[in-house]
Amino acid sequence: MSDSVVSTNGWKPNPRAARRRSADHVATAFGMVMAGILVLVLASILWTLLSRGLAGLSAAAIMKPMGPPGSSSGLANAIVGSLIQTFLALLLATPLGLGCGIYLSEYGTDTNKFASCVRFVSDVLMSVPSILVGLFVYQVMVAPFGHFSALAGSVALAILAVPIIVRTTEDMLRLVPTAMREAGAALGATRWRVTLSLCLRSAKTGVLTGILLALARVSGETAPLLFTSLGNQNWSFSLTRPMASLPVTIYQYAGASYEDWVQLAWAGALLVTMGVLAINIAVRVSARRG
Amino acid sequence: MTPGTLQGMTQDSMMTKTDPQAAKSPEVALAVRNLNFYYGENHALHDISVDFQARRVTAMIGPSGCGKSTLLRIFNRMYDLYPGQRATGEVMFDGRNILDHDLDLNILRARVGMVFQKPTPFPMSIYDNIAFGVRLHEKLNKADMDARVQDVLTRVALWNEVRDRLNAPASGLSGGQQQRLCIARSIATRPEVLLLDEPTSALDPISTARIEELLDELKEEFTIAIVTHNMQQAARCADQVAFFYMGRLIEVDSADRMFTNPKQQQTQDYITGRFG
Repeated sequence: MSDSVVSTNGWKPNPRAARRRSADHVATAFGMVMAGILVLVLASILWTLLSRGLAGLSAAAIMKPMGPPGSSSGLANAIVGSLIQTFLALLLATPLGLGCGIYLSEYGTDTNKFASCVRFVSDVLMSVPSILVGLFVYQVMVAPFGHFSALAGSVALAILAVPIIVRTTEDMLRLVPTAMREAGAALGATRWRVTLSLCLRSAKTGVLTGILLALARVSGETAPLLFTSLGNQNWSFSLTRPMASLPVTIYQYAGASYEDWVQLAWAGALLVTMGVLAINIAVRVSARRG
Repeated sequence: MTPGTLQGMTQDSMMTKTDPQAAKSPEVALAVRNLNFYYGENHALHDISVDFQARRVTAMIGPSGCGKSTLLRIFNRMYDLYPGQRATGEVMFDGRNILDHDLDLNILRARVGMVFQKPTPFPMSIYDNIAFGVRLHEKLNKADMDARVQDVLTRVALWNEVRDRLNAPASGLSGGQQQRLCIARSIATRPEVLLLDEPTSALDPISTARIEELLDELKEEFTIAIVTHNMQQAARCADQVAFFYMGRLIEVDSADRMFTNPKQQQTQDYITGRFG
């Protein structure tokens, strides 16, 4: 048997192989250390948030509205305000984002100038600093009317959500195989029928994921709300009046010199984080089902 | 559009005027004359003229890129989905040139069905996969729709396998079942012509045999044009065979003559496996 072995080197140690092996170990170790640091940073944020936030998270914090320092007040109106504004923003952004994403994927071929323009603008919008969006909405929806409003806040959030929905909708629709579109057309279906009943239906999990991601993204936004819905110490359900929100309240309370306000700020931060976490879990679950 | 107007005119009322040859073979479903096709600058089909006989199976064979699928996709104007692709010449179907710009494509595609290489079940239930196409062209009540679904599933020999799970997603079927579902979906709109683009190339031998048997039954009612890479399949299923090479129709003849005694040397070389 031994004369069939061709290698002259046999089992003698090979210095090059040893060097490659140690380089491999170094690279692996580097990756693991970096990943460990990242997890450590995230874990310490969560730990701080939990230890500080849980202390302030009482029934009163959730049930009672905001109030003057020392009055055992809560965050109820900010929580409700945040919910109203983010969901209104989503209501505004979803049809716009979906329609735009559908247009780009189904009608805006690569040679279409208008479509590539829309795609570019949408991508730019995705990276515009959110405070600029707030300033813009202030100029067109607050300054002319002379007062801040919840509606303006929702519009600012919607502007931030739209490009995310556009991008994911287009990407998800492009994953639908051409064969599906041809099979639909071959049965005599019109283009919009193919898009709606076949393409959008087979991409629905991904599209839904995009909408939820946009929701998660805007639910923690503070800057666009500072000049638009402003914040409100009291209950208000009017869309044309200033409305409280969790991020703005955190911003106001965290730097205050009153112990109970600082505590509420931590509790609010914990609430926002848990909300975003819940949305992300929902995204995972819906993606797995699809 | 009611089925009456869709299928009202008979198929043999058409070619007699424009084509003297049609007198000899009176039932021509599709008459192709001087057909040229372009993918942008690329001239893909050159001066094709060929008849597709009604209620017969015509197989189109030839090496990859020879234009056989291109021809098939002209018959339901599938190329219209893509800008830059165009056809000139004449494809007469029921008295009309289907290349006409003002032709209603949705009606054409209801009359000329197509089955693709890969099974493409829609993201919906087995039942709705069938009903989807029917609903586009007809308004049926629940009982009639149920009957239509059962009828076409029976004809593709799928009914017994799926009768208990009509509301289950079609994606759960096996590849062969999915392809039979796609055929059922295509015949559910009651077309006159059925185009099949390598319908068995993604299937195992048993599923392939089933679909070939099915073609034999379907040709009682439909004019069938099938593109295939499989010479045995063409010999087994087809009445007429057309051999294409580099965008040209080299030879068209009955399957018997084509495989035993082809006239052209190129055909001879191809079917004996010397190239392609």
